[in-house]
Amino acid sequence: MPLLSSILLTPVITLIILLLMPQKAVRGIRLICAFSGLLTCVLSLQLWMGYDPTSGGIQFEEIIPWVSAIGISYHLGVDGFGVILVMLNSIVYFTGVLTMWDLEDRVKEYFAFMVLLVIGVFGVFMSLDLFFFFFFYEIAVVPMYPLILIWGSGNRAYAGMKLMLFLLAGSALLFPGLLAIYHHAGLNTFDIIALSAHTFDPQFQIFVYPFIYIGFGVLAGLFPFHGWSPTGHVAAPSAVSMLHAGVLMKLGAFGILTVGIRLLPEGAAYWAPTFVVLAVIGIIYGAYVAMRQTDFKFVIGFSSVSHMGIVLLGLNLAVLGSVAATDALNGAVFQMFAHGIMTALFFSTAGYIYDKSHSKTIADFGGLGAQMPRAVSIFIVAGLCGAGLPGLASFWAELLVFLAALKTYPIAGVIVILGLVLTAVYILRVFNQAFFGAPNPKWENLKAQDMSGLHLIPRAILIAVLVIFGFVPRLMLDLINSTTVAFLGNF
Amino acid sequence: MENAILFAPELICLLMGLVLFFCTVLNRSYRTTRGIAIASGIAMIAACLWTLSLEGEPFFPGIYAVDFFSQLIKTVLAVGFLFVVIASANPLTVDRNGWLEVPLFFIFSTLGMMMMVSATELLTLYVAMELAAYPVYIVVALHRNADIGGESAAKYMVQGMAASAISLYGMSFLFGTYGSTYFSAISIPHAAAHPIFYLGLLLTLAGFFFKLGAFPFHFWAPDTYETAPHPVITFIATVSKIAAIGILCRLLSLAMPGGWESGHAQTALMWASVIAMSLGNLSALAQKDLKRLLGYSTVAHAGYVLLALQTFAEWGLTAALFYAIGYFAMSFACFLVICEIGRSEDRITIDSVSGLYKRAPFLSFTLLIGLFGLIGLPPTVGFVGKWFLFSAALQRGQFYLVLIAAINAAVALYYYLLIIRQLYWVEPATQNTIKPTPLIAVTAMATIILVIAMGTLPGPFWDMAARAARALIS
Repeated sequence: MPLLSSILLTPVITLIILLLMPQKAVRGIRLICAFSGLLTCVLSLQLWMGYDPTSGGIQFEEIIPWVSAIGISYHLGVDGFGVILVMLNSIVYFTGVLTMWDLEDRVKEYFAFMVLLVIGVFGVFMSLDLFFFFFFYEIAVVPMYPLILIWGSGNRAYAGMKLMLFLLAGSALLFPGLLAIYHHAGLNTFDIIALSAHTFDPQFQIFVYPFIYIGFGVLAGLFPFHGWSPTGHVAAPSAVSMLHAGVLMKLGAFGILTVGIRLLPEGAAYWAPTFVVLAVIGIIYGAYVAMRQTDFKFVIGFSSVSHMGIVLLGLNLAVLGSVAATDALNGAVFQMFAHGIMTALFFSTAGYIYDKSHSKTIADFGGLGAQMPRAVSIFIVAGLCGAGLPGLASFWAELLVFLAALKTYPIAGVIVILGLVLTAVYILRVFNQAFFGAPNPKWENLKAQDMSGLHLIPRAILIAVLVIFGFVPRLMLDLINSTTVAFLGNF
Repeated sequence: MENAILFAPELICLLMGLVLFFCTVLNRSYRTTRGIAIASGIAMIAACLWTLSLEGEPFFPGIYAVDFFSQLIKTVLAVGFLFVVIASANPLTVDRNGWLEVPLFFIFSTLGMMMMVSATELLTLYVAMELAAYPVYIVVALHRNADIGGESAAKYMVQGMAASAISLYGMSFLFGTYGSTYFSAISIPHAAAHPIFYLGLLLTLAGFFFKLGAFPFHFWAPDTYETAPHPVITFIATVSKIAAIGILCRLLSLAMPGGWESGHAQTALMWASVIAMSLGNLSALAQKDLKRLLGYSTVAHAGYVLLALQTFAEWGLTAALFYAIGYFAMSFACFLVICEIGRSEDRITIDSVSGLYKRAPFLSFTLLIGLFGLIGLPPTVGFVGKWFLFSAALQRGQFYLVLIAAINAAVALYYYLLIIRQLYWVEPATQNTIKPTPLIAVTAMATIILVIAMGTLPGPFWDMAARAARALIS
């Protein structure tokens, strides 16, 4: 059985089994999902081990003609970027299922929608056909609405609708963009590899690239189209925020990389200076707004905008073809992974604290550190990672992008490094106001409800991943560097 | 004998129509009549499948053609007829005295549509079109509440007649240009087509624009959708759309490949498409009545189909035919649920489906799939269908046109999501559960499977549609 299809089919089969299971078999449903999550982790690990970084490029290819008359094929394959993002999704899927272990309301439907989301994400990271790429991209967006609406909290009807409208408006830009690429090439194929061999007319590239960049960028939290992201992430249930902020936003960046930059390099280079400006604004703006939030989930939401800005900055610096291009792309892809794990940890823990206290107001917590020491410690690890503390994975990713920025655009580099200071401010502000003040007597009852046993497992896994790649970044960089070099070699 | 085989679907339709007629005369129970209608539907499907790959011109050469295109559409029409009859298990909104006539009129209208897609001569086409239209004029009026029924029937009929008169007027132009009513004579001089040809063609399209609910003949759609009895509007929203798209394909194929180059005909259709989708979607945003909302949504979908048809290319025809089949399934999924939950309600508002998830989980899932399809989300046929339709327009380089259509699809998301919100989030007003009969559950299941299958494995369906499109062009 081909490896990539196995990874993709694991959640598909899980979904079918879930739909056939009786509503009442809550325990069975959870176990099946956890098993399926674990299985994808094992298979992804096998993929990671099996990928040969010395030869680089696309590996594990599978092609089945789908609609041969117009050149749609089921074409899977991963390069180094795909490998680590598949891994990211597997980890977040598995830990997400564990995070939602205590869910009681409409369990079957919840996991069915969540698994559908996972299918879409896996599909995007593996697809090498424009049709299937977009097909899975939309599949990943679909379940967000019911997930936020039914299991969310707060202003969820508004948040769900806003999220869907933003994301599908992005798709509205992608529809003509992707189809124009197909028809302009005139190769009668949607195959990304075949299309990347074709050199598109520069005028055409310059015209179409913004549609692709902004269309995918909406999902990547591109400023000024990020409005859906904080509200959506705050209203969504924990595991959905984990998947969405952790993995789904990466689909946007991955789309820009795979479709935009790979197929339209000249268009990308033409627009890069403009989009660098937007990315820098996004980094500073996200951090600045995060400083003023009173709701701690909103802090994480805006921090995602800021951190995804770093990914977008790295991508744009990479296409400028400067000396630092390799660093920039390595950093951007590393940041996709590191931010994914970090945000998953953030939302997983924030969701836990919210579930127990039903409060999200920072000032309300006072000294929660004394009452829920374990949960708070985990939150602090995530926060320090967000602030770019050495020894955690984000450090390397952010370092690479910032160095590239300093080399390419010194002014932008200085500004984003100032942004890092802002990040430290908003993170430490949360720590200070919510965790280290005088303990609020209101939360004495939470003492008995701190994380224990099963609750610690998913968070421990996420922290372990952050620490491993924080101390041994080579593990990651060796893998992506070969792909980066090959990728930039095509320019 | 060979002729009779080619003509088998229509013959069976006619015979069973007569049987149903005797049922009404002998005043059999509705149960029996519906049973016979279901049997006729199955027989018609069998006959269509039997003749699917046959080609020929039974009885009157040049006037009536049986080819893959006509037989494919007839198969879908037969399936549509069967499904609609199954869905009208409890036509409580229809006047009690008229129950028996409902399947009867449906079958004769289906007969008219079957003949319409095979007609290759203007007068035959016109007569078939009228045969398809008249029975529906009558059943629209058969509402149990005469006031409600009268309004929708009057709108539907008056506008239908007007559109059909315009069609006839256009046909006279075509006849005047070419001195013949045979399509074979009309479609020959592509390159040197007279402007009058395009004018005549556009006017001829009027009658079919009316059926499709396309701008500028869409005005009946919201009112009639809102007030017509549920089974009747199910028929109009599903079966008659397939026939309308089919015949539009046939007529526009007459102008291929000259239609695009001539400019004016293409421009007119392009604007009809843009206005239809924008008007339909924007008007639907404000609707509170579920059926009325779907009425506007049908106008928008007519716009999407025209987007492909205005390309005057094989790809466009294929995409439109593919979408016709897909649209039938998506739309039927929605209306089947409306028929079930609205058994005894004259009007279905958005609030009527509140908390349907708790009252009827399977039906609400069916409606969810139908709505996902209409939005155009994978893995339903709505997504693939839109991909093909938009692709047809981009083949002609109409980038901005596709952008407008895609933005329209995003706008439409809002009102569809409001319905989904009612379904799954809002608490139900009553706790009465609705249990679909096994037959209806199986039909709903079949519809869901069709919607998902076409959305995930579009290959075979695309090939069929492409073969039908080639049959039209050759």
